[in-house]
Amino acid sequence: MQWQRGTVRGWGGAVGGESDVVRPTEISAVQEALASDHGPNGIALRGSGCSYGDASINPGGRVLDTSRMNRILDFDPERGVAVVEPGVTIRDLWRRSIGDGYWPAVVPGTQQVSVGGAAAMNIHGKNNFAVGTFGDHVRRFTLATPTGELLECSRSENSDVFHAAISGFGMLGCMTEIELELKRVHSGRMRVWGIPTRDLDDNLSMIEDLRESSDYLVGWIDMHATGDALGRGQMHRGVQFREGEDPDGATLLAADRQDVPTTLFGVVPKGWIWPGMLFARQLGMVGFVNAAKWRAGFGEGHRSPYPQTHGAFHFLLDYVPNWQKAFSPLIQFQPFIPFDAAPRVLRTLIEMCHKARLLPYLGVLKRHRLDKFLMTHAVDGFSMAMDFHVGGQARRHAVWDLTQRMAEVVLDAGGRFYYAKDATLLESSFERIHGRGAVEQFRALKARLDPDGVLQTELSRRLLGRG
Amino acid sequence: MPPSLSGTIIVVGASSGIGRALAMQLAHEARPVAIVARRAETLDEVAREINDKVGARRAFPFEHDVSDIESVDRLFTRIEAELGQVDELHYTAGIMPEVEIDEFPTDKDAAMQTTNAIGCMAWVNAAARRFLPRKQGHIVGVTSVAGDRGRLDRPGYNASKACQDTFLESIRNRLWRHGIKVTTARPGPVHTPMTEGLDVPMAISAESAAKSIVKARDRGRAIVYVPFKWRIIMFVIRSIPSFLFRRMSV
Repeated sequence: MQWQRGTVRGWGGAVGGESDVVRPTEISAVQEALASDHGPNGIALRGSGCSYGDASINPGGRVLDTSRMNRILDFDPERGVAVVEPGVTIRDLWRRSIGDGYWPAVVPGTQQVSVGGAAAMNIHGKNNFAVGTFGDHVRRFTLATPTGELLECSRSENSDVFHAAISGFGMLGCMTEIELELKRVHSGRMRVWGIPTRDLDDNLSMIEDLRESSDYLVGWIDMHATGDALGRGQMHRGVQFREGEDPDGATLLAADRQDVPTTLFGVVPKGWIWPGMLFARQLGMVGFVNAAKWRAGFGEGHRSPYPQTHGAFHFLLDYVPNWQKAFSPLIQFQPFIPFDAAPRVLRTLIEMCHKARLLPYLGVLKRHRLDKFLMTHAVDGFSMAMDFHVGGQARRHAVWDLTQRMAEVVLDAGGRFYYAKDATLLESSFERIHGRGAVEQFRALKARLDPDGVLQTELSRRLLGRG
Repeated sequence: MPPSLSGTIIVVGASSGIGRALAMQLAHEARPVAIVARRAETLDEVAREINDKVGARRAFPFEHDVSDIESVDRLFTRIEAELGQVDELHYTAGIMPEVEIDEFPTDKDAAMQTTNAIGCMAWVNAAARRFLPRKQGHIVGVTSVAGDRGRLDRPGYNASKACQDTFLESIRNRLWRHGIKVTTARPGPVHTPMTEGLDVPMAISAESAAKSIVKARDRGRAIVYVPFKWRIIMFVIRSIPSFLFRRMSV
């Protein structure tokens, strides 16, 4: 087994450090790695490394990277059920399934995410309010635990482990084989509306109004807008075609017709965009760019609805290659707020950003629903993802301080957080997020499946402590 | 482009023609649009059509007959209670019944006066009363090039449009010093249910008329001919002395 020393960072580039990394290709190699002599910082599990913060990094320790375990073991084109290894990416998955009229039921903003990572972090998409999280579509998985076991987990077998490993941010074992359900699509594209919104309340009430009649809803928020326009932005609404509604769309049920376009307006190579974004940020023009984007939304509104392929609709983060370079190092802060408190709390959070003069360059609003997973981030309410640039020590400290103060407001309102995005929460917050009962249950499972505390990440040490 | 105002918009006469096209355009402005008209079924259908196009609920139907001037104030208050403060009114309701060249129908003339002019007065007054203390708002009245001259065709229609037009000018003169804008839109022939079956030379679509009217609103124009060429044509027609004009068959 070859452990290679290298720098392993979170997706936002704000946290990371030197680790010894191994990339196994077989289950036996995973077990061997977990049983290896690992030192006090243990071993972190890592998929594609798309968690923004410290969920898949382990400075001073070891990292087990599953990205080479990337075989699709089986795909049933009749039922749309796939059996995959954990390193298979969302892209690998839909490229295999789209020809048979299936699309992953839940996809994030980038298709680079691995299925193992998606299950462990229990990711959500723009349809969380309608179909739940990624874990809701996992039927079973095999979990390689640090004690050397291979546990079969499903809703009927080892159901406690099933519901804790999904959402358990890689603390209980490494999933080595995952069976999941995909959803039927009758066309290679959807009907998409871009709808300008005038303020926060408009955004929130629109989501409520549309969620029964939409498959996907995601709101962009111009975090720079103030006063009456605070929380203004643009809603994107996707509605799938039903059978027979879009016969022409059937030709787009092909892997090569779904990829994200490589040019902007069909002309400008997208590789050229990130330097422009970097330039805009350095000149302090992000507010101006956001205002221009908001205005451009009115033009898009008149052109709506328009057809868009699934790939182009979902993978916005893949639109601009290397976009992180423009904002790196960055962190994302994504609070989840119960429905009734959301209008007040979201407004307070945006005002806190303005007061601290630390404006997220991006804000994204989504609607969520509850799920049954132990370490869930879900609420029956809304989430607002905020991306902060954290370059320079002073700014870094200020952002950490701001997000920790914002977290207090969120926790007081009964809110939650999502570990694929987090980088700044304090250990004291962990119990307040999940409740003492759930945390004790999680710690008990951890003690049973990983008694020596082999599985660790920077995130787990921050929230669970070393014990 | 986003509009300069951000409150609720009322479109009176939104179930067909220019009003319907205007409501469709305005519903894309991230503001609620109260669509007001007489026929409930058509109104619901228009609201559905607009909301399907926009992708969200922006059009809200309110059934109302403009000849019922007593109820205008009450309805205005209800719209503000349900949709938030109104800061823009478009009056587009209008009728033009068929009138023969040898027919002198007082009933038809009165009906046109009621719908085209009196209804406009009631709605514009209701808006002006509210906009004045707030020092903010925009009123758009859709009149017609027909109001520019008393042609031998349809005396009642021409007179009702002239009445509406002059009324709007007075209101504009009253309100402009308070920062409230009043735009008079004078369309030439437009393909609408009102002109269906008639021979309408140089007619444009209701959509393109609506586009021009929204543009005039954005620019805060006082009077706009839709399309622009009617400004020149009507200038010429208005300049024709009466003794000549009565000898012409226009």
